[in-house]
Amino acid sequence: MNPPVIAIGELHGVFKWLHELLVSIGLPEPLQNIVMYGALGVTVFSVLSLFALFLVWWERKIAAHIQQRFGPMRVGWHGWYQTVMDALKLLQKEDIRIETRDKIVFFWAPIVCFVAAFLAYVAMPFGRGLIVADLNIGILYIMAVTTFTVISLLMAGWGSNNKYALLGGMRSAAQVVSYEVPMVVSLLAVILYTGSLSMVDIVEAQSGWFNWFIFRVPFGPIAFVTYTIAAIAEANRTPFDIPEAEQELVAGYNIEYSGMKFAMFFLAEFVNMFTVSAIAATVFLGGWNGPWLPSWVWFLGKTLLMVFFLMLVRWTYPRLRVDQLMEFAWKFLVPVTFANLILAAILKHYGLYWE
Amino acid sequence: MNKDELKEKILKLSQGTMTPSESGVFDLMFDVKPSDLMKVALMLRDHENLKFDFLNNISGVDTGERFEVVYSLSSITFSLRLDFKVALPYDQAVIESTKEVWPAAEWHEREIWELFGIDIANHGDLNRFLLPDDWDQGYPMRKDWDAPDFIRMPQL
Amino acid sequence: MAKLRTEEFLVNMGPHHPSTHGVCRLVLTMDGEKVVHIEPVIGYLHRAIEKICENRTYPQCSPMMDRFEYVTAMASDHVYALAVEKLAGLEVPERAEYLRVIMVELNRIASHLIFWGVTAMDVGAYTPFLYGLREREDIIDLFEMTCGQRLTYNYIRIGGVSQDIPDEFVPKCREFMDKLWGKFADYEGLLNENPIWLVRTKGIGVLTAEKAIAFGASGPVLRASGVDYDVRRDDPYSIYDKFNFEIPTQKNGDSYDRFIQRIDEMKASLRIIEQALDNLPEGDIKCKVKPKFKPPAGEVYSRIESARGEMGVYIRSDGSTKPVRVKLRGSSYNHLRLVPEIATDVLIADLVTIFATLDIIMPEVDR
Repeated sequence: MNPPVIAIGELHGVFKWLHELLVSIGLPEPLQNIVMYGALGVTVFSVLSLFALFLVWWERKIAAHIQQRFGPMRVGWHGWYQTVMDALKLLQKEDIRIETRDKIVFFWAPIVCFVAAFLAYVAMPFGRGLIVADLNIGILYIMAVTTFTVISLLMAGWGSNNKYALLGGMRSAAQVVSYEVPMVVSLLAVILYTGSLSMVDIVEAQSGWFNWFIFRVPFGPIAFVTYTIAAIAEANRTPFDIPEAEQELVAGYNIEYSGMKFAMFFLAEFVNMFTVSAIAATVFLGGWNGPWLPSWVWFLGKTLLMVFFLMLVRWTYPRLRVDQLMEFAWKFLVPVTFANLILAAILKHYGLYWE
Repeated sequence: MNKDELKEKILKLSQGTMTPSESGVFDLMFDVKPSDLMKVALMLRDHENLKFDFLNNISGVDTGERFEVVYSLSSITFSLRLDFKVALPYDQAVIESTKEVWPAAEWHEREIWELFGIDIANHGDLNRFLLPDDWDQGYPMRKDWDAPDFIRMPQL
Repeated sequence: MAKLRTEEFLVNMGPHHPSTHGVCRLVLTMDGEKVVHIEPVIGYLHRAIEKICENRTYPQCSPMMDRFEYVTAMASDHVYALAVEKLAGLEVPERAEYLRVIMVELNRIASHLIFWGVTAMDVGAYTPFLYGLREREDIIDLFEMTCGQRLTYNYIRIGGVSQDIPDEFVPKCREFMDKLWGKFADYEGLLNENPIWLVRTKGIGVLTAEKAIAFGASGPVLRASGVDYDVRRDDPYSIYDKFNFEIPTQKNGDSYDRFIQRIDEMKASLRIIEQALDNLPEGDIKCKVKPKFKPPAGEVYSRIESARGEMGVYIRSDGSTKPVRVKLRGSSYNHLRLVPEIATDVLIADLVTIFATLDIIMPEVDR
């Protein structure tokens, strides 16, 4: 029997060893697959969780330095394990549950949010050969799955039995759903050129010098800009952070959550931010392509560059009012992205693109 | 115009409703009877040479013998200032609201009602303001008001 | 299909809230996102300063005035000292007057820096808050150098000021002013032309000049609505008639204008301080005040132009050592009354913007 081919690339050795171990124990094949995929899942999950913790620390440092102060400094060198300590603190906080909550919905909302945030990484190419499942509908799958967070926002808003939370949940659901359209359509404009929805094919189509989709003028940069704006809105970051703004009256959908449940929403937000940056890095910035360094270093670097940009934007701009936000999405971004898509299609039809 | 000219003008225009008072140290001070209040207010605000459209302040005072309500006014267009006061005896502490003349008066009068107990006619919105909603210990700014934790310091 | 019925509901923007500057409670009746009716409920910070002052001698009341409006405590001290000096006919020495002007103008700049930072934070840009407070730190250091206090100074006393400035004050002050002049380009570039900022503040909460005057709005709020009136120029007190300063006004009276107005006023204040530092005379810093201070009987209403608007004190004296009545008039009292007038039928986010740009401070309202 052929062992399942997973983790071609840097992790191949580890999984080959694991497979041999399982064969030597004498596990039947279905169980072998389950254990192998389970191990892969655990690897991805732990790497991403560590990344979420790193991102929280990084955000605090960047925010602090923009604001001319230091940020966390005491907990380790420049406060590097501050987030770990905060997570531990949140773990031991009292889990306040309101009597009048909708029990099932209230309980499952943070779990749905957390799980939905990680589902996208099934098809995310971390490097050459470092992908959990090279689905042939890769990017479509990722787009579909990032919408699951909307359900969790609505569940959180409803389950809290609090009109503030409900209003906040509905506002954020409306925002996320509205900005899905320009996000997907901007990606479509460049994916036209790959002929396939598979993430690996998208990255392969950008190999070589200056072949990244962002450089394919004129539709590449436009798609990149509109995608970035839509991504900031998807990730609920300023200037689109109505759902979590404290200065607004409605403090947001997670107002009634405390302790570990709140931590799950919080970490899920950072994982979401990493997801949209990773998609941008894969589709526009060339994924793992790059000379000399290992492929996952390139992927990570490009993703973190996008994350850095998102953080800079957060700490610079004021926020948009809710109706201005929706107006911007529907009256500006949607027409622009559709026009861009048509332009890209016309250029491809007439062969006027840069190969 | 300077203070003396203003004083002359006011005395002429007010036709006896405003009498000068000596207690104003820096600005002009007049006495007005409670029944003439609305007439005086409208005259001061609307007359084309006076235009006292800006109400600076309304203070209630408990002098120990009577209440006084002191109005401080300015004119934005002519850069003038004057004060006038209305004396009210303790047993007839009612004054008419000037909030139709100067909308700024609404909250000042509400505060006077709440802290002194001076009734404001035609106000329409007198309810708890600075004090807690369940306040039942009288009118604090009156001189004869007492409370267990209000210790009067000795006269030096 | 039956028409869906929508209901208005009450929301309490309670005393504990990040954007009601201080403890102010607004009971809002909302129709969806729109605010239909606002009722301010105040009194959470009522400390009965006026009643306490009736029980204290005139010099003992002076520290109470810091607490009346602690963001511009110098101005609060100043107005009380002015009122008592008018009552008693005291003549303040010239050096003390110059020092008072320098301190009050520095305090105005500090207050406007806080306003700038806090308004930006309320609208969503978090960074200007830190920048504004960073500049304010230098001003507070100057104050600490002079009188030892960072917030409630009790520096301007009846008859003069309490201490003379140390030698390092003037060079440090000039250094601070040069630094701040250089920063204006940064600060204006950060928000003034930002499209998001413009769309959040332009046309929001328009206050016409007639309404402003009728409701007793004063200071930057009045001038942003186009009324050219400044107590320092039109009813001069202290030595403001010796200084050459411009009084900016804006045209529209919306939130954007109120925002810009205070930045312009900061620049005007810097020019006043420059002139004051250049012409600072030598001399006494206090005039002789009798230990048992008994002003003659009478009443006076004295007002100054503080950072928020017109701050006034009405004092009635009967010739004894304690005042009969001290009434404090804060500009935020009238401005808070404006909120139900100009912030109905707007969205919640606009209410927050309007409240922030009116620069309402609760200690002035509640006393």
